Amino acid sequence: MTQVTLSALTKQFDEKSPPAVDRLDLEIESGKLTALLGPSGCGKTTTMKMIAGLLRPTSGDIGFNGESILSIPPEDRGAVMVFQNYLLFPYMTIAENIGFGLKMRKVDRKEIRTRVTDMLDLVQLPGFEDRKPRQLSGGQQQRIALARALIVQPNVLLLDEPLSNLDAHLRDEMRELIRRIQTEMEITTVFVTHDQEEAVVLADRIALLFDGQLQQFDVPDAFFESPESIEIAKFFGGTNFIPGHYEGGEITTAIGRFRAPRSAVEGGDAVLSIRPEAVTLGAAEGNSVMGRIRSHVYVGRYARFRITLGEIEVEAITDPAQVKLFNDGDEVPVTFDPAKIWVIRPASSEQ
Amino acid sequence: MKWPKPVSRTPRLGRASLSEKAAQRLTITLLLAPAILVILLLFMGGLITGFLRSLGYFPLIGLNDFNFEAYTTVFTDNGFIRSFILTFHIAFTSTLIASILAVASAMLLRPAFRGKRFVQFIFSLNLTIPHLVGAVGVLYLFSGSGLVSRLATGAGLIDSPQGFPAMVNDPWAIGIIIQYVWKEIPFIGVIVLAILLSVGEDYESVARSLGANRWQAFRNVTLPLIMPGVVSASVIVFAFTFGAFEIPWLLGSTFPKALPVLAFESYTDVDLAARPQAMAMAMVIAVMSSLMILAYMKVSRRYVRS
Repeated sequence: MTQVTLSALTKQFDEKSPPAVDRLDLEIESGKLTALLGPSGCGKTTTMKMIAGLLRPTSGDIGFNGESILSIPPEDRGAVMVFQNYLLFPYMTIAENIGFGLKMRKVDRKEIRTRVTDMLDLVQLPGFEDRKPRQLSGGQQQRIALARALIVQPNVLLLDEPLSNLDAHLRDEMRELIRRIQTEMEITTVFVTHDQEEAVVLADRIALLFDGQLQQFDVPDAFFESPESIEIAKFFGGTNFIPGHYEGGEITTAIGRFRAPRSAVEGGDAVLSIRPEAVTLGAAEGNSVMGRIRSHVYVGRYARFRITLGEIEVEAITDPAQVKLFNDGDEVPVTFDPAKIWVIRPASSEQ
Repeated sequence: MKWPKPVSRTPRLGRASLSEKAAQRLTITLLLAPAILVILLLFMGGLITGFLRSLGYFPLIGLNDFNFEAYTTVFTDNGFIRSFILTFHIAFTSTLIASILAVASAMLLRPAFRGKRFVQFIFSLNLTIPHLVGAVGVLYLFSGSGLVSRLATGAGLIDSPQGFPAMVNDPWAIGIIIQYVWKEIPFIGVIVLAILLSVGEDYESVARSLGANRWQAFRNVTLPLIMPGVVSASVIVFAFTFGAFEIPWLLGSTFPKALPVLAFESYTDVDLAARPQAMAMAMVIAVMSSLMILAYMKVSRRYVRS
């Protein structure tokens, strides 16, 4: 069980460009699954490579269980990285690939063989010992890469985009496999992804990075219910942001005043945010304004309406049956459930 | 209104595509014909004439019978055997040393560093310098009266230039090997560097992360990945150093001589009867080179397959 602490971790590849990772502070819990989430080029993989010891940080520190490991070479850190493109050694058999880490540790051949067999059982590919990597599908190669990492019983398992190269059904399978193994072996696991859904489904906690800077480090639902900025809310699919003034549990906007008990700001200029799923059409139950339906799309599992409220446009995702109730151009009451409104600080004070 | 029947534009599989293939093959053959002709006439023609002469067929000087006399003479001649061993020694040793140093240099040149372009330019500079110039350089530097010898004398390492170990025209062919190594390092190195850069460092990263130290990662991961390139480059070097004439002629000892020198001298011998022997030696060189290339293809295919 290893707790990983990043303190002011920074990596700058050259002086002309901004740092790839910028003063990152992160406490990665022991035995948990943590996602490093962010758009491509935000420094996720760089962070991971620094933890693995494959890149030297420009400044800052990395600690395992409170002790700095910066001076420890990658082979002695026990932080094993599984790359996005698997990188099985092409000239080795599957058994040689999986047993590689043990061979490097000069483990006795017989023991390597039994442990390789165990690993193949664990990743549900028994009997694959003598095949070559190119005979395997992408999903199978990924599982072998995972087995190759797990066999050395790492302190920290680092997964780079573990699901992004797989097609939909393999993704579910792999996700379950990772979860199962991680829970069984209780390995501190960090994985990198650009896909917020993947992070939400798989991770215990998510660290969201933009441009090398930590935006929010929280449990998955917090990113939906209480994002710390408009950018974060947008990254997680939030679409409705109405500027206003917040005071005493109420926010006053250009289209009216709304009760909003949940807020990230004390008072003053603020932004009302509400997820499209929390906007209801029809019944006026308080916290409502009249709007006009501009357009709608029937998606099957749900319907998406665009509604104009004076100068402002909001999006509502509703039960698909509602497309039968409303037509474009109709005037409808639009309700913002007070429990689902989240007041954020405005973007300008962000920088 | 009637629509016109759709016309199938896709050729039917089977006979149609077969004749298409044949036509394609013919086109390729015709396009390659000039090159093939040159190869057949000059290369094969020369080889066949040489082969016939090595068998003692040389009507111009009245030799009309086929026999293996030249080969028997050549193979039973102690001088030839020693020349053969020397030539193999030259080719093998220079190829081995050049390959090892080339891989090492390529590894050093791989990471990004300030002034890398300049260093790389210097590294590959002597690709453009002719072998002969290199040989003259070796003469100036390493002969008994050369720069190194005089510097060593000046530094008091040896009493006089006479005490300098023979490195040119010496029985161990040190001068020749120095020249070949100097010239072939960038040749192999540039190829290996290109492969290293295309393979990338990720495989090594995986290995390091799995617990391999630097050397283990190089030995178990990088080296096998670049081996096909090293083998193919070094076989070219081996074949060249085995058959090249000018460097052993300039820097080699008087006895034993390298095979190409021996063959050339027999060929230019006033005694025309020595011609078959010269040709026999040339044949041996050709066969050896071909064997090397075959062996290379076998080895490299094994790597490519896996």
